Amino acid sequence: MAFTDKDLQVMDSIINRYPRKRSAIMPLLHYAQSRDGFITSDGIETIAKKLDLETAEVSAVATFYTQYKRKPVGEYHVGVCTNTLCAVMGGDEIFAGLKDHLGIENDGVTADGKVSLEHIECNAACDFAPVVMANWEFYDNQTVQSAKDLVDSMRAGKPKAPTRGPDVLQNWKETSAVLAGINDGHANEGVQAGAPTLLGLNISKKGARG
Amino acid sequence: MSNEVVDMITVVIDGFEVSVPKGTLVIRAAEKLGIQIPRFCDHPLLDPVGACRQCLVDIEINGRAFPKPQASCTIPVEPGMIVKTQLTSAVAKKAQEGVMEMLLINHPLDCPVCDKGGECPLQNQAMSNGQSDSRFEGTKRTFEKPIHISSQVLLDRERCVLCARCTRFSEQIASDPFITLNERGALQQVGIYEKQPFESYFSGNTVQICPVGALTGASYRFRARPFDLVSTPSACEHCASGCSLRTDVRRGKTLRRLAGDDAEVNEEWNCDKGRWAFKYVTAADRLTHPMVRNASGELQEASWPEAIAAAAAGLQKTSAAVLVGGRASVEDAYGYSKFARVTLGTNNIDFRSRISTAEERDFIASTVVRAKTTYRDIDRADSVLLVGFEPEEESPIVFLRIHKQVRKRALKVTAIASKLSIGNEKLSANFVCVAPGSEATALPSVALTAQSVILVGERACESAGLLSAIAALAEKTGAKLAWIPRRAGERGAIAAGAIGNLLPGGRPVADASARVDVAAAWGVTSIPSSLGLSSDEIIAAVNKGTIGALVVGGVDPLDGENHHEMLEALQKAFVVSLEIRPSAVTTLADVVLPVAAVTEKSGSFLDWEGRSRNFEAAVVDSLQRSDVRLLSMIADEMSKPISLSTVKAASKEFASLGNWDGAPSALSLTSVQTVSALQANEALLTSWRRLLDEGSLQQGEENLAGTARKPVVVISPKRAASIGVTDGEAVRVSNSHGAIVLPVLVEAIHDDAVWLPRNSRGSHLLATFGVASGAVVTVVKD
Ligand code: SF4
Ligand code: SF4
Ligand code: FES
Ligand code: FES
Repeated sequence: MAFTDKDLQVMDSIINRYPRKRSAIMPLLHYAQSRDGFITSDGIETIAKKLDLETAEVSAVATFYTQYKRKPVGEYHVGVCTNTLCAVMGGDEIFAGLKDHLGIENDGVTADGKVSLEHIECNAACDFAPVVMANWEFYDNQTVQSAKDLVDSMRAGKPKAPTRGPDVLQNWKETSAVLAGINDGHANEGVQAGAPTLLGLNISKKGARG
Repeated sequence: MSNEVVDMITVVIDGFEVSVPKGTLVIRAAEKLGIQIPRFCDHPLLDPVGACRQCLVDIEINGRAFPKPQASCTIPVEPGMIVKTQLTSAVAKKAQEGVMEMLLINHPLDCPVCDKGGECPLQNQAMSNGQSDSRFEGTKRTFEKPIHISSQVLLDRERCVLCARCTRFSEQIASDPFITLNERGALQQVGIYEKQPFESYFSGNTVQICPVGALTGASYRFRARPFDLVSTPSACEHCASGCSLRTDVRRGKTLRRLAGDDAEVNEEWNCDKGRWAFKYVTAADRLTHPMVRNASGELQEASWPEAIAAAAAGLQKTSAAVLVGGRASVEDAYGYSKFARVTLGTNNIDFRSRISTAEERDFIASTVVRAKTTYRDIDRADSVLLVGFEPEEESPIVFLRIHKQVRKRALKVTAIASKLSIGNEKLSANFVCVAPGSEATALPSVALTAQSVILVGERACESAGLLSAIAALAEKTGAKLAWIPRRAGERGAIAAGAIGNLLPGGRPVADASARVDVAAAWGVTSIPSSLGLSSDEIIAAVNKGTIGALVVGGVDPLDGENHHEMLEALQKAFVVSLEIRPSAVTTLADVVLPVAAVTEKSGSFLDWEGRSRNFEAAVVDSLQRSDVRLLSMIADEMSKPISLSTVKAASKEFASLGNWDGAPSALSLTSVQTVSALQANEALLTSWRRLLDEGSLQQGEENLAGTARKPVVVISPKRAASIGVTDGEAVRVSNSHGAIVLPVLVEAIHDDAVWLPRNSRGSHLLATFGVASGAVVTVVKD
């Protein structure tokens, strides 16, 4: 899909937020992803031109960060944490269960294009392990069953709300637009730091350090 | 700058004290003591990055030790620093062994078939600083191998140690970041963007500095083992940058050339032309035997004595002149110069087998012979002005040197030209856009000081009045001036006097005492006193019948604007041609004498600075002779000897002549031509030769040719709108002689101008139009 004039204007407004154009590379990649669903050649070439960079430099950034996809993902991209803590708390089972339930492998997309699956590294949410993310929103303390219910709700077109963060789960392209810095109005919703996260802090505040 | 005070810092490394300038990296300070810390990513000419971790050492400063070994390639020395390398610290030794073991986990066992084997920093340092065993028992990661990242450079990704030397070179030195580190973790790899190959003029340097065999050149891949090669220090014959090179030969055949190390000139780099364009030497059609035209008008192989006798006889009969191309070595040019004066008794000699003018000849005699500007002056300049000169295309090491200062200290560069070039964009040059032919009118607007450097190219002569205006500007401002020709032999040919108004050492022909000087040195009674004709005038004189014979060395008739006249002259005159391969000249010659190519002979060039670049014969058993030896034989046969039977003799005699210390000739201002008004669809032609094009010395190297910039016609947005074309559409450029059709590129160029490459595939301006710049052409949509 070629970028429209309006898309190009949005890109310019993103670039204008930075003192040096090249600083805009990451939001622009998210923005390109919000239009095309993944980073297309068109996206890389357009960004390179806008930022006066070589295409190789843009592609280096696009391939380094796993949040940028070089091929289509589902409308809801589900990441299961399989790093040490989540893995032992049930992450491995959840990942195996979802592969089985959806009939896809790691990095696969369901035939209806609704859900894609990826095992991901630690999300710094170990205190809520095992953690599943959908379009980078948190689903804490999951089980194999709750994860299956979650993907079923996505396939049914009524995705469950995240357990932390915003009240609704946006689709992949909408989320990419948010990451590009375009406000969707959900920024301040939900709990940010939950009780388990604050546990240590509260204990120390009570002077229980001994 | 010489009296700059340098702060010295003293540190202790492995128990030895060493004092080094502030800012020196620990790894360099250790080198000063002869202590070699193993390394991969470290390179003295690239910014430190600390990517490979092979150089770990133990460091303490004023009694406080770093808790862990540190990368010695990223840490500058500090007062009170005590460093322990692998030689004195068990911790450092173990750390280095660990890193090596880690790097080898995924490294393939390619050594027996890898081009780098035998000269590989990984192989060598795995032996010197690694362990004999690995704890890794898994399966090595593999990649598809190799992948072409350009038609010339191949990448074996699993051999890569991710040191980022290649990517840093491309970004920091060449400013061509077409290769980057892609992906991450175990899959991290060097790569290009899928649609933009690694087409940098400097890509070969990455092959040379890759510390493993991950980057290889397609032409050398699997051709040789390093220990079977005999290496000879050489000088590059392709341009006036003056790179020192190394030529590697196996059994009489040049297999590769590498950049030599010369801090004053090319540092450790060269361009891809100098590295890879050497196949012309081994071309199947190399001339091997002398040839003489027989009674029935055919060229026939002859013995050397026959051919020399035939040449002498032909030259004796009539008045003769000398045309020697800009590629001759100093010694050969000196041979031609002396041969013209002593044997032929004439000053009719000109090395400028290209577009040239009388103004340029005066500029050479008055200004170029005195120019002392060097690479160092670029390092120190407060600004650089480029006129009629595209450094990246026409003298690439000059480009790298300017770029280094642009990157380091934002050196101000101004370019007066009709089109903004890729190179000047990379230099962030202030582009002063003028119509072709109007360059001189822009000169007064450029602010210059005595610290500024003006670099003017050989194309400046194509704009009437420009060279004399530049000389006047340099005089007025005190700015340093350098004239940078394209060919490697031009500066040397000037010094040798291979031009009608100069004798060797910059002595003006017009000066009686200069002539007496030279006559005495040569042991002849006198030197002809009338100014010699230029190459254009010589050709006209042949066609008029006043000159009857020509000695032609290394000249391509298609390099000038008057090639029809030139071909006619070659037909008319008795021609002795000294050449390495058949050409338009040899086909028409009466006597053809094969000569040695640069790799087969010794000699020297003068680079644009006037600095001598010596080379030895890399192919030692070549039967080919240097031009000067053949000229000496002909001179003997004509009983007017020049006594230069060896290159050494020529070099010694030339050196003993020294430089003229009398007054140089003066230069008068030539008036600038006014450009006539253009009709709709008319434009003024502007062009230059691209570094990689269809030049005859680049023939036979298809891998290199594949990386050349694609030929295009460049016009301004205004013109594009008026003729109704957009990028990529075909445009037809024509004059009364011919037409060229190429895809268009709409870019920053003067509205009155149209640009085409001068000598690229499908774009041979001199052959098609008979002109290459300044002339009116018609530009329409095809
Ligand atoms: S290809 Fe060679 S130079 Fe480039 S990162 Fe790999 S090892 Fe280093
Ligand atoms: S820059 Fe010039 S001298 Fe150096 S390698 Fe290239 S062509 Fe040869
Ligand atoms: S291990 Fe899963 S969030 Fe940290
Ligand atoms: S040489 Fe020091 S980290 Fe690579």
